[in-house]
Amino acid sequence: MIYDMKPWAWVKHVIFHPTEGFEDMRWKKAGSIKIAFFIVFLLFCSQVFNTRYGGFAYNPRGYSDIFNIVPILVQSVAYYATWVVANWSLCTLFDGEGNMRRVAIYSAYALVPYIIGNFLSTGISYFITLDESIWFSAIYQVGLWWSVILMIFGMKACHQYNFTVTIVTMIFTVVGMLIILILLALIMSLFQQVYVFFATIYTEILYRVRS
Amino acid sequence: MNLKKIISVLIAAVLALSTMCITALAVDPYPTYNYDAWQNALPSQAGYEVIQTVTYRDIGLERVRDPSSEFYISDNENVNFSDMKDFFISPKGEMYIVDTGNNRIIKLSLDFELLAVYKNFPGSTSKHTIVDDQGNEIEVDADELKSPYGIFVDENDIMYIADRDNQRIVKCAAETPTSARIIQEYYKPETALYESQSFYCTKVLVDAAKNIYVICPAVNKGAIMFSDSGSFIGYYGANRVEVTAEVIRNKLWRKIASEEQIASLTKSTPVEYANFDIDDEGFVYTVTEVANASTDAVKRMNPAGYNILEKTADNNEFGDLVAVNYNGTTYATRLTDIAVSDDHFINILDYTSGRIFQYDERCNLLLIFGFDQEEQRGGFSNPNAIETWGDEIYVLDGRNNDITVFGMTEFGSYVHQAIKLHNQGLYEEAYEIWQEVLKRDGAYYMGLVGVTKALYNQDDYKGAMKYAKLAFEADEYDRAFEANRQEGLRDNFTLYVIVIIILVIIYFVIKYLQRKGKIPQRLIATGVGKAAEACKNAAITVVGKIKKGGNGK
Repeated sequence: MIYDMKPWAWVKHVIFHPTEGFEDMRWKKAGSIKIAFFIVFLLFCSQVFNTRYGGFAYNPRGYSDIFNIVPILVQSVAYYATWVVANWSLCTLFDGEGNMRRVAIYSAYALVPYIIGNFLSTGISYFITLDESIWFSAIYQVGLWWSVILMIFGMKACHQYNFTVTIVTMIFTVVGMLIILILLALIMSLFQQVYVFFATIYTEILYRVRS
Repeated sequence: MNLKKIISVLIAAVLALSTMCITALAVDPYPTYNYDAWQNALPSQAGYEVIQTVTYRDIGLERVRDPSSEFYISDNENVNFSDMKDFFISPKGEMYIVDTGNNRIIKLSLDFELLAVYKNFPGSTSKHTIVDDQGNEIEVDADELKSPYGIFVDENDIMYIADRDNQRIVKCAAETPTSARIIQEYYKPETALYESQSFYCTKVLVDAAKNIYVICPAVNKGAIMFSDSGSFIGYYGANRVEVTAEVIRNKLWRKIASEEQIASLTKSTPVEYANFDIDDEGFVYTVTEVANASTDAVKRMNPAGYNILEKTADNNEFGDLVAVNYNGTTYATRLTDIAVSDDHFINILDYTSGRIFQYDERCNLLLIFGFDQEEQRGGFSNPNAIETWGDEIYVLDGRNNDITVFGMTEFGSYVHQAIKLHNQGLYEEAYEIWQEVLKRDGAYYMGLVGVTKALYNQDDYKGAMKYAKLAFEADEYDRAFEANRQEGLRDNFTLYVIVIIILVIIYFVIKYLQRKGKIPQRLIATGVGKAAEACKNAAITVVGKIKKGGNGK
């Protein structure tokens, strides 16, 4: 096989060759960070599509007037970013060979089946009734687990671990993600308090100056 | 004064008068609302409006001091009501008011003519001692009531009175316009099954077999049941324990704690119900007056004491859905009384907000009316009891000392007609009436559901889908959607088959031509081929750009 492929062909290659695809990509030093970011953007789009669209019987809440984009942003982009940061931080300490750029690329490429499953299942829910929901969930689940498998082999190739260590580091990465998110929430509330403090001083001074 | 000033004064006067006209035109003293499909409170039409407010003057209660009147009791008898706790409309259409503070029963016709004032109750057979709050034994003053709290009247005008502070149920019949002769008294059951020390009965009910049901707030095992002869039968229909975090914690502790520790744990007990009503089929309806109680807040029980309400309280909240927080006080729904009309509409009175929530027999919320501004007509201070007669609803206020009569509006009667047909499954007959309802309140939830079902039955699946979306009913939508898809497939089956066959043929032709190596030039020669080439070029440019920037190293 000739491995001088265009960037998009590499995406196709790793998706359909779960076990060797990432190793090939690592060997050829292929993989584009721009495509990775585009995939994350698609992930965000698929989450929005999933929340806002779909057959009425499947997603009545999607027909609500109220739509908050922040949770979706957190569930796609923020999760991805914390995953990359946590995984890189952890695996650097555990003799992983991947740098952050590679972790970002491999993780994003692994998400493609999930995104496609998300789009397809939401799209198909326009044409099926609730009794036929097996199709909806089957497509979604296939996409999800395909992505999980890709993610495992992606991380394995990225850091040159064996299988067990990959699984262990991935579990600890999830713990790390939680810690990062909690710290972020703490910092945000702290900054909010600081902001409120200064805002109060500002208003107080304003009152004094005016009176 | 110059002309300008005069004109401006005139304009001001006209403006002021015009605004006064607007307030005079407003029918309801309060905004009515209803919950839409999204469970938001939206302004709605009034289903009921106040017809009349009746005070002691309207019924001529001064006659209890007039020696020439047949209702004369004594010269210092109170002419006003005092802290009325309950009233009842008998099967004959006469209203019996429990005038708790004055220890008397007032009987009125439904035109609010005074028929009797029962103050004396002679004929008590047994002298009975009771134990009061402090543990003192006191003898019952058998000829008078002492804080009566509840009343029930059967079809023979026999009164059953919950004589609270005398701790007895009095069964009596009218003798003169001011006295009723006691037929029988029911005291605290002398049995080991009855654990409470006292028998402070507040509400009483009698079924067709003349069994007597009594509510004592101190007893949480359900209603106390007596047979007609006065013997204690047992308890009827206790509420379930509401599952709270504390109850779960105690349950877990019980598994691991020692005997002594278990003894010190608080027992999980159900909440007793506050009031009940019985319908003409013998089903007993109960309400529980605890703020935010969701377990068994409203029940409809068969004679065996099982709740047969279609939606049980676990998945259906009664009263206001959201507790209002205002000035540091939380105003949560407290269901104090329930009245079931002849058409099986369930009216629930909320003590906190003074509102009446009307449900149909399947617990669909129909109408909300009433409010808690006691200074205004139709507003309540201490709404204690609710009764229905025909289309009218009566509410008793123990602090305003009046009775408010609600009559049905056009909107209310449309809703009632439509929901009756709807619940019989006559969706198509109800369709026109639901349209009238929706003309007046476009967000009326049951109306949208009714129209959905009617359109589905008329095979208008597209319309049913549209209304199911408005009513936010996913299951109804799914039903209509499936039928619509089926219909679409059936009507266009030939077309679909032809299209599929043509596609298959084209596929095989292309395959064949590809094998012969004839396809590319032929296709490019056509317009389709040119368009395809243009698309291909555009795609190549885009891919090229991405490639230029994103090939990595």
